[in-house]
Amino acid sequence: MAVGTHGESFMEAPTGSRKPASADHPARSSVRVAGDGRRPGLDGLVQVAHKIRDAVESVIEGKPDVVRLALTVLLAEGHLLIEDVPGVGKTMLAKALARSVDCTVRRVQFTPDLLPSDITGVSAYNQELREFEFKPGPVFANIVVGDEINRASPKTQSALLECMEERQVTVDGTTYPLERPFMVISTQNPVEMEGTYPLPEAQRDRFTARISMGYPDPAAELEMLDSHGRSSPLDRLTPVADAADVRELIEVVRHQHVSPGVRQYAVDLVTATRNHPDLRLGASPRATLHLVRAARAYAALDDRDYVLPDDIQDLAVPVLAHRLLPTAEAQVERRRPEHVVAELVNRLPVPSPGK
Amino acid sequence: MRLRMTIMAALTALTGSVALYPLFSGGAWFWSGLGAVAAVALAGLLTRRLRWPAVFGAAGGLGALLLYLTVRFTASEALLGVVPTPASLRRLRELLQEGWDAANQYAAPVPLVPGIMLLAVAGIGLVAVLVDLLAVRLRRAAPAGLPLLALYSVPAAVREDSVSWIAFGIGALGYLALLAADSREQIGGWGRVVTGPGVPRGRTGEAAPPPDRGAMAASGRRIGVAAVAVAVLVPAVTPGIHSRGLFGMGGGSGRGGTQTVTTPDPLVSLKRELTRTDDSLVLTYRTNDTERPEYLRLYALDKFDGDRWTYTSLQSTPRDRLSGRDLPEPPGLYSAPTRLVTTRIRVRPQVRNMTFLPVPYAPTRVEIEGDWRVHPPSLMIYSLRDSASGRSYTVTSTRVRATAARLRAAGPPPNEIYTRYTAVPERIPREVRRLADEITAGATTAYDQAVLLQRWFTEDGGFQYDLTARPPQHGSDLVDFLMHSKKGYCEQFAASMALLARILGIPARVAMGYTTGTEVSPGVWHVRTRDAHAWPELYFQGTGWVRFEPTPSGAAGQGTASPPVYSQLITSGTADAAQEQDVDSPEADRQERDQASPSAPARRQDDLGADAGADSGRSADGDAPIGWIIGALLALLLLAAPRAARSATRRLRWAAAATRSGGADGSPPDHAEAAHTAWREMRADAIDHGLEWRPSDTPRTAARRLGELLELEEPAARALGRIARAEELARYAPSRPLTPPETLRQDVRTVREAIAASVGRRARWRARLFPASTLASAGSLSRRAGGRLVAVAFRVESLTRRLVPRRPR
Repeated sequence: MAVGTHGESFMEAPTGSRKPASADHPARSSVRVAGDGRRPGLDGLVQVAHKIRDAVESVIEGKPDVVRLALTVLLAEGHLLIEDVPGVGKTMLAKALARSVDCTVRRVQFTPDLLPSDITGVSAYNQELREFEFKPGPVFANIVVGDEINRASPKTQSALLECMEERQVTVDGTTYPLERPFMVISTQNPVEMEGTYPLPEAQRDRFTARISMGYPDPAAELEMLDSHGRSSPLDRLTPVADAADVRELIEVVRHQHVSPGVRQYAVDLVTATRNHPDLRLGASPRATLHLVRAARAYAALDDRDYVLPDDIQDLAVPVLAHRLLPTAEAQVERRRPEHVVAELVNRLPVPSPGK
Repeated sequence: MRLRMTIMAALTALTGSVALYPLFSGGAWFWSGLGAVAAVALAGLLTRRLRWPAVFGAAGGLGALLLYLTVRFTASEALLGVVPTPASLRRLRELLQEGWDAANQYAAPVPLVPGIMLLAVAGIGLVAVLVDLLAVRLRRAAPAGLPLLALYSVPAAVREDSVSWIAFGIGALGYLALLAADSREQIGGWGRVVTGPGVPRGRTGEAAPPPDRGAMAASGRRIGVAAVAVAVLVPAVTPGIHSRGLFGMGGGSGRGGTQTVTTPDPLVSLKRELTRTDDSLVLTYRTNDTERPEYLRLYALDKFDGDRWTYTSLQSTPRDRLSGRDLPEPPGLYSAPTRLVTTRIRVRPQVRNMTFLPVPYAPTRVEIEGDWRVHPPSLMIYSLRDSASGRSYTVTSTRVRATAARLRAAGPPPNEIYTRYTAVPERIPREVRRLADEITAGATTAYDQAVLLQRWFTEDGGFQYDLTARPPQHGSDLVDFLMHSKKGYCEQFAASMALLARILGIPARVAMGYTTGTEVSPGVWHVRTRDAHAWPELYFQGTGWVRFEPTPSGAAGQGTASPPVYSQLITSGTADAAQEQDVDSPEADRQERDQASPSAPARRQDDLGADAGADSGRSADGDAPIGWIIGALLALLLLAAPRAARSATRRLRWAAAATRSGGADGSPPDHAEAAHTAWREMRADAIDHGLEWRPSDTPRTAARRLGELLELEEPAARALGRIARAEELARYAPSRPLTPPETLRQDVRTVREAIAASVGRRARWRARLFPASTLASAGSLSRRAGGRLVAVAFRVESLTRRLVPRRPR
């Protein structure tokens, strides 16, 4: 999937925005460093985020956009759907992200016989204590990697998806809150579709973004051979931040400035998908929410404390495309929702003053 | 199914036929035309249903037209009233011949005799056949405009004032509707249309909504209505195309119930009459006048436009009907003795197209059948629909006994007479004005001047009556006649004398009609075509309009012309003396006083002033008329306007930015406005130089694209970056941009120079002369205006749709 190429920032950053980390424990102390006139916390966030990004990129080579998007989803408190052919590093990305943040990671391999309780956990009778005891399932972790989610039965899928939205698990009438941050990274294999249960659109809507890894370019693949030859780079990865750092980052992201024009732009974009003749189903209001939230995180990763229409444009395809249903005619003519969104982005005027 | 197109084609032909309205009196032709169009449309539908080839389709249309004409005009000769028979066809041919003759005989509006009706209906039907063939059968809606154009060209060619803008608008809208219907059908064949996000649509879940053509149709309507509006408005404001100003307001028409009277140019027909070889009898009359009767006047031409004498278009109202009452008082006649003369006139039936009555001046009562009207200021008698041919009528007229003394003693004319009848166009050359003064040197009163003028024309001037002379077309022809050739016939003489009189300040007009003719038996006179004549009438307070005769009379001139007695006094000595006795001594005293009084120099001053005015006018135009110079200036102004507007906007924007970012009350200056201004300016510059600017580009994207496109070098690239950064912050960031306006302004200049340097020379010049940004905003302005027009048109359309019952599908 093509993520909007952002490349290098065209403009110079304002002076003083990239202060070198000063403290010996950069992750914790730098969060409170304030840039001149900017919101405190942003510079620290950027430092931490960049560290995480660098760590993940050391494992996933040649895919800065994908890494950045994954990080965006993490900071936007969203969930990520990775859709690609086998062997391009979907699970590796999930693992690398999980490992660079020092937090609990659980991995679930979805199979057709997986039961909902295998995910959420079960209440078992404890003979010694003579009471029911809750055995938490793999969903009780900061980052949950759901491999090949489309292989599980709809029942199991929906159990996971409920956790994703509610951020809690209810078993036998008792509600157990999940940890924070909580992020589900699901992978899906689009080619071997026999015996799978593709996610219904209602459930795809819960993922903030869908990305596809794509093949690495030849140079990156060559380099990969070198680095993966001796030992797995994943083993060498050491955490650069912890769950508390990420929580703090999420808090900072929530306060990013979104100007009214940009909000309007996001709404316009989503509304346009609802009116498009090629689409049977447009994006939901939740999509709008996710889009703006992701844009906040995206802007923060770009070292800004305000959101630009550029962020919305870059995120429109990954955040919106998987929620849209093309009409039968569009399907026949191979006009995919990605193209529709890209076309809308190219056509919709950006917000400007005085207009 | 091409039902819709068939109906549209029929409607178009019908709306186009509205343009024929000025040709006919009455509206019955329209309904007959409607029938013809309907017959043709039905035939078209039928042949298409039977899938006949196009040739037979057209033949079917013609056949249907023939059937209709048979039913409508020659039902009695036809078989069962429908099927054409040789007899009915013969009758149709006769009718056509009659119509043709009538069309040649009458000037528009022609009476609706059956032949004319047949011509009109057949013409409309033919156009309907062609439109149906082109638009529906061959699916070429655009060329279907050609037969419609033919409909327009008929009244435009026949009438001097072409089709009214309303008729044109109706026809044009009909044609546009045809085009729109055709395009709609074609677009309908394309399938789904991409719609913009702003176009509201039904719920997305619904199965395959029909292609939305609303937006396209709206823009089509917009363009169409704007084109029609331009077509109507531009000629109205362009000098030289329209003679009477917008919607005839200049002519004072448009009042309820009035109707503009037009005839072929009277002076054109004069020459034709004079040179006719057959010299046929026009009319005979019997008069009880004991003296030589007055001339019979048809027209009074009161307007000299610099080239020709014409009459101000008559605004006819039903109040002007004669209807057995006395006519208005002759203007200016109140002190001179008069007597009543009764003339019984019989116009020969062979006389064509005589819509003005020949009457001796000044008619007080006219008894004639038909709808005849009087024009009060000139006492012309005319009819809107009747012709005088073959009629007999009785005229009672007031004959004034003008004497030299009374004319000489006439006071100054009232203001409205003076201003109206002494108007002389600016561009009359100076030598003519000087000539008028030379001829009348020594004369002290208007009357003396007039007599001197007449004598100059008939005796002193060396003029020669010559019927072969070209009729004067332009002012220069008259000048040539006066100064050089001195050969002409009554038209030149009358026109020139009236003109010279006006130059001298004597109210004058040119009358046209017939001389007294030849007395065949006591009291009975015959007037022939060669007696057609033009002569000047001059106004004297108290006596009113008085005839003069500058045209040589007798064998070497206008045979039956006769100079009036009062104008010959000076030349004939005895009569002179006799008349002089009439002059009271106070009058003579007054004359002397006049000669000595300062009013004479004052008058000369006036003349000098007029001369000077003419002089300046002449020196200004020279060989290139002033109109051309003004036109060129206007064109230059138009050329410069976009550029001027562009720099004006630029300056205004920066000025506004400066005031808003001033921070007058000590608050920190707000540079956001400056950033916006810089951005807008840069955008305008880019657009001016023909660079693409997408509305979906964010400042960042736009700047990057611009930079890559132009391969900007360092300072310009940096400036571009600064502008984009400032704009981005100003638009979207909570904190305000810190770049000061001066820097931004300098940056914009740097970028503009860089842009100009990297585009081609043509783009550079276009940016200078026709800044696209200004033109675009002007365009959007006009689009908005156009949109409003469309809204109005749409409302009218929906109204008519409600009024006209929905046709069955």
